[in-house]
Amino acid sequence: MNVGRIGAIVEKELRELRSNPSAVLPVAILVTVCLTVPFLVLVVMPQMTGESLAADPTLRLIVEKAARSSPRLAALQMEAAVEAFMYQQFLLLFLVAPIVGAVSLAAYSVVGEKQGRTLEPLLATPLTTAELLVAKVVAAFLPAIVIEAVALLLYVLLVFLLASPGVAGALVNARSIVLVGIVGPIAALAALQMTIAISSRVNDPRSAQQIAVLLVVPLVVMVIGQISGAFVITVPILLLMAAVLAIVWVLLILLSMALFERETILTRWK
Amino acid sequence: MLTATHLTRAFESRVAVDDVTFEVRAGEVFGLLGPNGAGKTTTLRMLGGLIPASTGEVQIRGVQMNRQTAESLRRRIGFLTETPGLWDHLSVEENLSIYGRLFGISNVEGAVADSLRRFDLWSRRNDRAALLSKGMKQKLALARALQHDPEIVLLDEPTANLDPETARGVRDMLFDLRRRGRAVVVSTHNLDEIERLADRIALVSTKLIAIGEPALLRRQIFGRRFRIRLLGTPATMELVSVAERAGARDVRIEEDGFSMLVDVPETAPAIVRALVEHGAEVREAFDDQPPLEEVYLKLLSATA
Repeated sequence: MNVGRIGAIVEKELRELRSNPSAVLPVAILVTVCLTVPFLVLVVMPQMTGESLAADPTLRLIVEKAARSSPRLAALQMEAAVEAFMYQQFLLLFLVAPIVGAVSLAAYSVVGEKQGRTLEPLLATPLTTAELLVAKVVAAFLPAIVIEAVALLLYVLLVFLLASPGVAGALVNARSIVLVGIVGPIAALAALQMTIAISSRVNDPRSAQQIAVLLVVPLVVMVIGQISGAFVITVPILLLMAAVLAIVWVLLILLSMALFERETILTRWK
Repeated sequence: MLTATHLTRAFESRVAVDDVTFEVRAGEVFGLLGPNGAGKTTTLRMLGGLIPASTGEVQIRGVQMNRQTAESLRRRIGFLTETPGLWDHLSVEENLSIYGRLFGISNVEGAVADSLRRFDLWSRRNDRAALLSKGMKQKLALARALQHDPEIVLLDEPTANLDPETARGVRDMLFDLRRRGRAVVVSTHNLDEIERLADRIALVSTKLIAIGEPALLRRQIFGRRFRIRLLGTPATMELVSVAERAGARDVRIEEDGFSMLVDVPETAPAIVRALVEHGAEVREAFDDQPPLEEVYLKLLSATA
């Protein structure tokens, strides 16, 4: 592996991204939604209706159940605990943001090379297939993670400014850190790798995005299950999820390597 | 410098290149000629280490191209692909500098500046590649293929779609590469161009049909022949029959006389003498080389 060559391709990808910002449009929209919806639900709506969320008996029950496994939540007043619980559930949306970001960037980067017929001259350089793949993954992963990190910081800052005292502090716990620091990036890597594998078989970035974004479905199920109180996702469950996603990622790397054989690219990619 | 030995490449049941052997020397421009689907691009890809041969081998200065050596051997090769394959969203300069880094050029900035000046792209260096004309794109692709000063240059249709002036620039650049001792392989359909450029040509149609200097190939196919041109006289028809009896062929009536083709040069003096004796005035006699196109078509039809 030659780091200089990988760096050259990553730089090229980032420069292309700079001159073609439409590739980050899906993730920009999603991040805006992630940063808007929680505050609409938890700040704007209670003010408009004059009714606190803590008044909902079902929600109180769910929060009480969750507080049994979360001392920080248990330490808060019911009003603040409900807010902290809800903000924590909305945090799951930030898992989706890096996935969508990575998927859209990777789809453009691979299918774009196909459409522009730019891979053949690239394969005539000393660049190896593994280096090319690593560069593609890094170049899509970095901006997605940066966007996720910036969005999370903004989220915590807004929670600190708009929520009840102590809520922002309750958000920063082991569960949140595992969720956004481990599960999120690994889920993004798996989705990214899936996009790269799919991109070798399709000619339109949208097709690759549509298929790879299916990885978001289990996460959405998880969000709904959490909010409805059907189950509580604990740190061990999150770590198990991370392990499963890591295995899926490794399998997808192997699949991508097989599909990215230079011969396949030159003779079968159309 | 570059040798292909019994090079064969099959894609599933279809054989694209079948048992092709040739050598390209340093300081030589070698033309690869053949109809569409003859296996020229596949041959170039095998020479460039982009795809492996099914059987046979490619060697560069005695080092066999394989999975282990391809990475280092590709550093010594400059490959111009059939389509320029530029990154449209990047500038002309960025397209060159990224490739410079991929080839491990030590002073990328200097090499890029040199290439931009050499290929007359300096004034467009900050423009996005998408904004360039077809000719400029081809120039940029050439600059990209040559900026690491490769020993071996593989060019797939280098002057396709270029205007005459730019095509001439490309030819001059190829002559310069030859002068500097580079081994150049050019694949093309353009017979006029290859005739002007190539020291030797290989005609391929899946298999290697013929190989050699264009003039030698002509002689192999058509022999050595002269055309004799005579001034017309009142006895023209009589002279024509005299010439034909003496062995001349392809007698053509021209504006102020007639001409004939003499296949075997040894018989030319006898024919001229016979004509002069019958009152003909010989205006000129010259080597009559058929165009390369005739050689090409004849060889191909013989194979078919």
